[in-house]
Amino acid sequence: MVLTAEEARQVATTGKDTLGCVLEIEEFGVHDGPGIRTVVFLKGCPLHCSWCHNPEAISFGTEMLPDQVRCAGCGERCLATGSCPSCGQPVPPHESAVGELISAEGLAARVERHASTLTASGGGVTFSGGEPMAQARFVIAAASELSPLHIAVETSGHVSPAVFRRVAGAVDLVMMDVKHTNPEVHRTYTGRTNRLILGNLKQLCEGSTPFIVRIPLIPGVNDGRDNLERTAKLVAGAPALRGVELLPYNTMAPAKYARAGRVFTPGFDTTQSPRIEPSIFERYQIPCEVL
Amino acid sequence: MRDDVLNKHSHRLRQPADPEGDASYTASLASAGLPPVLRASARLTNVLGRERPVILQEERITMTRTVTTIPEILTPAERSQLGATHRIHELGKVCNVTPGYERIIASGLEPSRSAAVDGLRSASRAERDFLTAVVESIDAVYGLVDRYADEAERCGRPDLSGALSRATRTGATSFLEALQVFRVLHFALWASFNYHNTVGRFDLYFWPYLEADLRAGRLDEAGALELVEEFFLSFNRDSDLYPGVQQGDNGQSLVLGGIDRDGEPVWNLLTDLSLQASLELGLIDPKINLRVSTATPLSQFVTGTRLTARGLGFPQYLNDDVVIPGLVDLGYDEQDARDYAVAACWEFIIPDSGLDVPNIAALSFPNAVDAALREHLATSSTFEVFMTRVREEVTRQANELAAETQGLMMEPSPFLSVLMTGCIERRRDASEGLRYNNYGIHGVGLSTAADSLAAIRHQVFESPDLHVDELISALDSNFEGHDDLRQHLRDDPPKMGNDDDRVDLLAADLLGTFAEALAELRNDRGGRFRAGTGSAMYYVSAAQELGATPDGRKAGEYLSANLAPSLGVKVRGPLSLLRSFTKLPLRTAINGGPVTIEVHDTVFRSANGVEKVAMLVQSFVRDGGHQLQINAINHDVLVDAQEHPELHRNLIVRVWGWSAYFVELDKAYQDQIIQRVELVPA
Repeated sequence: MVLTAEEARQVATTGKDTLGCVLEIEEFGVHDGPGIRTVVFLKGCPLHCSWCHNPEAISFGTEMLPDQVRCAGCGERCLATGSCPSCGQPVPPHESAVGELISAEGLAARVERHASTLTASGGGVTFSGGEPMAQARFVIAAASELSPLHIAVETSGHVSPAVFRRVAGAVDLVMMDVKHTNPEVHRTYTGRTNRLILGNLKQLCEGSTPFIVRIPLIPGVNDGRDNLERTAKLVAGAPALRGVELLPYNTMAPAKYARAGRVFTPGFDTTQSPRIEPSIFERYQIPCEVL
Repeated sequence: MRDDVLNKHSHRLRQPADPEGDASYTASLASAGLPPVLRASARLTNVLGRERPVILQEERITMTRTVTTIPEILTPAERSQLGATHRIHELGKVCNVTPGYERIIASGLEPSRSAAVDGLRSASRAERDFLTAVVESIDAVYGLVDRYADEAERCGRPDLSGALSRATRTGATSFLEALQVFRVLHFALWASFNYHNTVGRFDLYFWPYLEADLRAGRLDEAGALELVEEFFLSFNRDSDLYPGVQQGDNGQSLVLGGIDRDGEPVWNLLTDLSLQASLELGLIDPKINLRVSTATPLSQFVTGTRLTARGLGFPQYLNDDVVIPGLVDLGYDEQDARDYAVAACWEFIIPDSGLDVPNIAALSFPNAVDAALREHLATSSTFEVFMTRVREEVTRQANELAAETQGLMMEPSPFLSVLMTGCIERRRDASEGLRYNNYGIHGVGLSTAADSLAAIRHQVFESPDLHVDELISALDSNFEGHDDLRQHLRDDPPKMGNDDDRVDLLAADLLGTFAEALAELRNDRGGRFRAGTGSAMYYVSAAQELGATPDGRKAGEYLSANLAPSLGVKVRGPLSLLRSFTKLPLRTAINGGPVTIEVHDTVFRSANGVEKVAMLVQSFVRDGGHQLQINAINHDVLVDAQEHPELHRNLIVRVWGWSAYFVELDKAYQDQIIQRVELVPA
């Protein structure tokens, strides 16, 4: 298969081998597919969503980040960067590595300990992130190592069509975000338009890999009836569509942003609750669940 | 009715406590020269005689305590004399058993009374005293139910009087009557100073009554649910008067599901109604236990998990696949083993025929490790040599604890004897023993001990930089001036709860050694000793007796409750945690003691999350786990509840083997729960 330059860049982000840059391996993901699932969070994402819950997963590659400690002076939790922002007491700097390079075989060895438990519950392994398709080669290699475990991938869909097709063909379930149907609004809140995403969504609709569409409901951004209705129309009737999952936005600790050296600029009113209307999808005969 | 119970309305009807009156009553029993068994029946006659019947509005299952204290039958002098020559366990009463409610609900008390009267004709003196005490006790209960019946008539509730007077004597003929007779028996047991009176297999022995009512059209499902709810409420009415270590530790455990004596599955409509009632009421009593196995469908685990999600700290799951064979290995008849229930917390006991004392002592694993390390670590050339010494120490302590059980003496319990099979026929009080007289010894602090051993192996034997003297001096100084070493001990060696054989197999070794040490021993009632995995309240007391430990734990820091990772340990997640504990030789250490985990309450907010937790429980059962209890917990809420108890009156937590209102616990128990490892989902 001949890859475009962009595809090659994406596939090779983590090196020439089938190494993956893993932020974390979590046992027992609750909202990450069927059954008991181990979730592999991969580090690095091409989007910069203003509501991102995993800011440490945005940049590619391992990095040293300051640790959270409890300040000896005031008892508040703060970053070990020199001094406490609350009381000014010195807090000795302390960092730890975030992200770990793991081979596909190494990952399989770690996960396989629990393979029987995962399988018996109808579960498996979910690759999440970050954007797992940005490390497509690793995901494909790991999926093959983990076979016959059920493999799911949680993706933004912002990858080239060829990469998307290859990964979707190598896994058992694709859970794909559709954050907004309007390209410009999409760019405002994520830094990129939805061109690649909608194209890849079309691939899913025409293909046979089971998929779930997920919408992070952001108050005032994408929870309007129009946007949801347009999303429903995009996927209604797709034979492999298993359903739509709505993930209402909930406030998160901005401390995670500070640690990742980023500033939380949501660009929407975080005190509002999003509108939750699963009936919009049900009207199109699409099963809809609120997580 | 639920609000009345929560607001303790019926407490206003209580008679004032009278400690002087109680003491002088005890003195009068002594000066009358009565043998203890007749004192016990006299006391029951006295206490029930002082009870004032209370018929609460709209209730259909009646009986409310108004006498708040039960006098002793032995004077303080007599008790201390007895204590000098005998082993006295807890308060010296028969407790923590599952009475044979099933038999008496079916037949009423009259057949027992007649058998006792018949027996009197050919009885020896001691037998005569016992049988007389039985007759007196039953007559005392008759006196009470008849006065309740009169009061019911007076209140315009003739519907209650028949069930009370007739069914108590000759047996229940409907579901409601069966519930009422249970209440009478349960009430009379508490008034006899028997405590931790467990309910046993509710859906097994009440089902025939409910089934008959449903068939005959006397009751529909909705009506049955209302009755179950009213019955469950009755467990919360007087429970503050029941003796226990903390409020909530009252032994009212109820078992659902499992298989019957013939091996047939029990789960029926009453099982579902019981779980629904408990879910709707959201109260700490009765405490629900669910017997499950690999044959249990996921849907039943989901039903159970809805209760967990309600934040009740139960159901506790009991795995028939491990428990029944384990009990058979200990010499229990297979049919009896299939009929097992649980004692106040989690100890496996046999209804009707078991007088096991499943909590007679506790072995502290960290204490054994500490003793071995001080005596032998310096002279142990390899870790394996040291482990041999540790095993010897565990064995020595187990033998010592077993030897200390000699001469166990319990107060005669003539009324409870009516509810335990064979007592009247054998003319012997239940306190003298029954078919099963095994003693259980808890095993405390297993994770701390295994973590300590792993730390010793890692720091002393595998990396040469720690000298034994330095370790001991660091422990003796409680790590003062040894911060770096403590940090290494906490961070470097493997910890239990991570599915890491390097430490899990050490725990398995300790537990297996403990079980093996007890296997051949016999107690002086002819029973065996059972090794256990529970901690009871010893995770606080054993921790206080223990200095700093080689896993980096400082003196005074708590141990974990039952089977759980050491407090503050970072674990990979729930799968690894559970796997660490299912590796243990659980079948050979089957006294009881659950794996105890705390799952963040946000997991339960969606049906999806509830189903996932149910799958987790199911996989624990598949992997051969014996017993599991789950707290749906939120660290921040617990901390807030400590600061603002008035805002968290109904916050429920699982303590060591029972659920309690968090704000009613002593601070030590609150603090320990706050420090437990909290599993947060991905």
